[in-house]
Amino acid sequence: MRNILRRRTVLLGSVVAVVTAIVVLLSTGLGRDPSSTASPLIGRAAPDFTLPRLDGPALTLSTLRGQVVVINFWASWCTECHTEQAALAQTWKKFRDSGVVVVGVNFQDTTRDARDYVRTAGVSYPVVEDTNSRTALAYGLRGVPETFIVDQAGRIVDRIIGPVDATRLSDTISSLLAAGPR
Amino acid sequence: MNAAAMVGRVRPRRPVLLVLSAVLTGAVTLAVVAMHGRDAQLSEAQQVQQIASGLHCPVCKDLSVADSPAPLAQQMRDEIARKVRAGESADQIRADFVAAYGDSVLMTPPRRGFSATAYFLPTIVMVMGLAIAVMLVRRWVRGAAPGPDDDEPSPLSASQRRAVQKAVARLREEEPA
Repeated sequence: MRNILRRRTVLLGSVVAVVTAIVVLLSTGLGRDPSSTASPLIGRAAPDFTLPRLDGPALTLSTLRGQVVVINFWASWCTECHTEQAALAQTWKKFRDSGVVVVGVNFQDTTRDARDYVRTAGVSYPVVEDTNSRTALAYGLRGVPETFIVDQAGRIVDRIIGPVDATRLSDTISSLLAAGPR
Repeated sequence: MNAAAMVGRVRPRRPVLLVLSAVLTGAVTLAVVAMHGRDAQLSEAQQVQQIASGLHCPVCKDLSVADSPAPLAQQMRDEIARKVRAGESADQIRADFVAAYGDSVLMTPPRRGFSATAYFLPTIVMVMGLAIAVMLVRRWVRGAAPGPDDDEPSPLSASQRRAVQKAVARLREEEPA
């Protein structure tokens, strides 16, 4: 009789344990939005690119080595990109003489619309066109706006999905500048 | 030795020869497939389709790159085609996308980390279900078989049992229909 009771307790305990484990695993794993997970590129070398500027010669990322680079993927049709424009302009104005470059990468847009937006919004940092989205794919882009911060050694240190926040940008850039080239 | 006797000796070898030739043909086919790989027989478009159908469209909910009409999926298909033409293997191309997007870009989850649960969880649930089913069947079989109580002698004597049966029968007769 005691053996049967013990066996039943063990069985019931195992069932409860397995069901709890399944519930915990599914609630933590399935509730996770893949787009909000950290980029696998963080801590790794930023994929290099050479892309034509909207208003000038091509720009190659690797030529900016030694500076902090803010790579912002955007499009003229993207309303959230308009929202973050002020923060990007503020960052560019604040850090452009301290070894920081903001690069706008135009994504899935027409050259005409992109130029119109740049002129209207008064964007003064370099803007390049990713015509075939190869750069966007190399950066694992899921939509716009998305922003990557690259340190002086060319490694990606942060990825911001959605509109950037001027304070977060400023804090990250200031800490990179304080640490100096590594 | 006459001809019939010779035929009798030769005939048993034929099945052996047939089996040997079948095994040899199979081995040669396997070797050719192993050397050239399955992909070598596919056209470029088929290779692109095969790779794209194994990748999750990053801007869609539940569509593969092959099935999605999204512009980004189209650009991914173009990129896959470019890489196939450049001679990159399917594994290399998949690895490039995983490097940029992480494992979530794969339609089939890898057998590591949290994704591994997709593989071992069904097995655990199946084993648990089987164990419970076996336990229930055993209990059911035990319940159907005569229990130890059935072999025990009745506390009533034969005459007492008869008296009880008569009383029950009388009660049933007296019951209103």
